[in-house]
Amino acid sequence: MIEYFFLALGLLVMVFSTLGILRFPDVYTRLHATTKCDTGGAMSIMIALAIYVDASFFIKLKFLILAFLIALINPMVSHAVARGAYKYGIKPKVVVDMYAWDNP
Amino acid sequence: MSRVPFYLKERLEEVRRRVLFETYEVQKLPRWERITFTWLVLFSFWIVISGNLSLENIFAGALSSLIISSFMYDMLTDDIRASGHLIEKIIYIALFLVPQYLFIMIFRLLESNFRVAKHAILLDINPGIVKIRSDLHSDTGLTILANSITLTPGTLTIDVDKKLGEAYLYVHWLNVETLDREKAGYKIKGDIEEWLKKIFW
Repeated sequence: MIEYFFLALGLLVMVFSTLGILRFPDVYTRLHATTKCDTGGAMSIMIALAIYVDASFFIKLKFLILAFLIALINPMVSHAVARGAYKYGIKPKVVVDMYAWDNP
Repeated sequence: MSRVPFYLKERLEEVRRRVLFETYEVQKLPRWERITFTWLVLFSFWIVISGNLSLENIFAGALSSLIISSFMYDMLTDDIRASGHLIEKIIYIALFLVPQYLFIMIFRLLESNFRVAKHAILLDINPGIVKIRSDLHSDTGLTILANSITLTPGTLTIDVDKKLGEAYLYVHWLNVETLDREKAGYKIKGDIEEWLKKIFW
């Protein structure tokens, strides 16, 4: 029963992540939506699959390793995208920009 | 310290940096501990991925991961702080520190998901890029700290500026509350840095 709860949670988080991508103003705020909600949604769907699937213990453990790798790689990718966008010259719409103070 | 000539001041700064570097270099683990640590991680990964518990499979995995870890021991365990005995350290990390970290991060991830959903609905954002200071010095520790900051609610690490004595992180904050470096660092990092200081230098 608890796997349906995890599946519904992942679905809900993914829906709000898509809404965030559509509504936020610039690149950096959209990256917030993609990073966190992709990680949370994909991890909860993986946990639901690991509980639901009718297989041996090691295959369930492989799902958990997949969730762990998603949590490891996703922040790195978002950091690379944000830094690359800043180096390319896209200015963020912010109130204070201390990164531009130190790298003129 | 007030009236030191500038050439002496420069020399003094150099000597201080040298002492700092030497103290960090001395704290590294001995070689056999690093080999054992790498072997343990690789072997557990082998067991989970291969997924069968027959005797020859375990033997082949142990042998091949021992060969790999005997010349790749520098990559994984370069930054671990040297303290205590090896067995005690492995048990302490695997049974106490890693579950604590997972417990902290799961709740922070849930909170960040709900907070992004709230911001997406209401659009009450006030973004800014702030600079915070970190007390960690090693590459692995800074990487884990930056990834954890990215997964905590409302923050996204853009760049890391690492010098010999100090490290600074540039963080894109979705809802800027304060510009003071200490308060912002305390609000962003939380207790993750205290946790990381127990393992990495």
